[in-house]
Amino acid sequence: MKQALKAIQKISFWVVVLALLAYSIFPIYWMVVTSFRSTATITSDSGLWPQDPTFENFLGLNRLFNYSEQYMNSLIVATSVTVITMLICTLVAYAIARRNFKGRKTLTIALLFSYMFPPLLTLIPLYVYMVKAGLGDTLIALIIVELTVTMPLGIWMLWGFFKSMPFQLEEAAMIDGCSRLGAFVRIMLPLAKPGMITVAIFSFLISWNGYLAPTVMIESDSNKTLQMGLTAVSANMTSQWGLLMAACTMIVAPLVVGFLLLNRYFIQGLAGAGVKG
Amino acid sequence: MSATAQQKMKKSGLDHLLTAMILLAVLMTFLLILVPLLSGIALSFLKIDSFALDGLPSFAGLGNFESLFSTGAFNNALKNGIIFSAASVVIQLVLATLVALILNQTFPGRAFVRTALIFPMLIPPVVVSLLFRWMNNQSFGIFPKWLQSFGMEPIAWNTPELAMTQVVLLGVWMWTPFMTVSILAELQSIPSSLYEAARVDGAGPFSQFFHVTLPHLLSVMSIIVLLRMIWTFNNFELIWLTTGGGPLNSTETLPVLSYRQSFTLYELGTGAATATVSFGILLAVVLIATRFLPVNKD
Repeated sequence: MKQALKAIQKISFWVVVLALLAYSIFPIYWMVVTSFRSTATITSDSGLWPQDPTFENFLGLNRLFNYSEQYMNSLIVATSVTVITMLICTLVAYAIARRNFKGRKTLTIALLFSYMFPPLLTLIPLYVYMVKAGLGDTLIALIIVELTVTMPLGIWMLWGFFKSMPFQLEEAAMIDGCSRLGAFVRIMLPLAKPGMITVAIFSFLISWNGYLAPTVMIESDSNKTLQMGLTAVSANMTSQWGLLMAACTMIVAPLVVGFLLLNRYFIQGLAGAGVKG
Repeated sequence: MSATAQQKMKKSGLDHLLTAMILLAVLMTFLLILVPLLSGIALSFLKIDSFALDGLPSFAGLGNFESLFSTGAFNNALKNGIIFSAASVVIQLVLATLVALILNQTFPGRAFVRTALIFPMLIPPVVVSLLFRWMNNQSFGIFPKWLQSFGMEPIAWNTPELAMTQVVLLGVWMWTPFMTVSILAELQSIPSSLYEAARVDGAGPFSQFFHVTLPHLLSVMSIIVLLRMIWTFNNFELIWLTTGGGPLNSTETLPVLSYRQSFTLYELGTGAATATVSFGILLAVVLIATRFLPVNKD
């Protein structure tokens, strides 16, 4: 009797797990499968595996829109935003955590408040200033605008990380002969690694996935990002689902690969970061 | 602190770097947060009808706010925004707690399941809206095909009755993983000695959940719910890309209204006024909420 109950418990546990897996993964799987279906079979074939798998959709992307160019633009923007955010936020967060100065509290509250801004409230003024500065319709302007979102978030998260590390750690390293800089590089940075990687993941996601900021900042076709370009063509190309899903698969691919490489740091990073306020 | 350590602190080049970093942070906060914010608010008092940025705009006084409240558009968008953010965040919280409790168990394949369940978080809104448009395609989509095989009619999502449900469900799909991870991280910080003590006292799984787990999660949950509701209330992309605010404005939230005023009607002042008022609302909510929520301040 008891054994039967245990078995039922176990089975229902796995039913729930499998249902959750299907719910999370199936749409993504369906996107990838559709992108490998040929034009001839796409409307009729709804099997889990394509009848005649083909790369024609991926090879046809450049005929659909300025695909390669816009892919490069997205890469340039997302990589720059991620690198700049990581470098500056780590140092600034460490400075805020280790230095007592007037206005520290105001500064951290200001960073948190920027999370509440309705997107267009600051986006339109930023657009106007960029145009006045001669940066209208450039990737540099877009990078700066994305940084206004990723930097406050990054500083806030890493500040939470450094704050929770006792100063004694660095002191001990310094007594052992490390310089202050040495203590920071050898002791603090390795400890902050999960947090830095989490910030990097978020920065890349925000700037790679963003649609509104590029739409406001960019006009010319050659400066558009992938998200903008795809949205523009999808409005008039609603029947070419193989091509559209191939474009989507290519957008998601680097995110999945990057995440698979880094995900072991991710939960650790969120736990240590400023989620707790 | 020992004398040598103190000396090193004074002399170190890192020290100058840290001072520079603090100055940089202050400058950034000023240029990238404060100036655009104040400009945005100022814009809501100006009359600007185009993006041709020459000449000085004229002062509109409260004109933009008057035209904002003169139609029902603002109230409709506010109502939709509250429904959208409250519904999606509450569903996310329930689902995320369930998933986090499952992922906190030890079972074969846990690492794989955990990674797989986080994936929806990576998918950009542009892709989510296109992908579900394809899956729901009336003629060739997989969902209508499944329903047909059960003898059911395909669901018409793009109607005023169901459009909001659709964007809420898409939001839940995309955004639950973030909440799951946050709750999971907190679950893992509960000392196992608490559970052992509860078991010794004869507490079953349910009793353990309500007396140990839930009280421990409450503080983090309330912060996450507050932050995610604000974030969802301000979210523009998912709704704009999925429904464009329609049909018949049934999914138009304040960011979508603000965008439409600014970029479709070219009434930049009114668009800014919408954003300013919604910022004011959020500010009030946060100030009230931080007073009453069990938030540990520091």
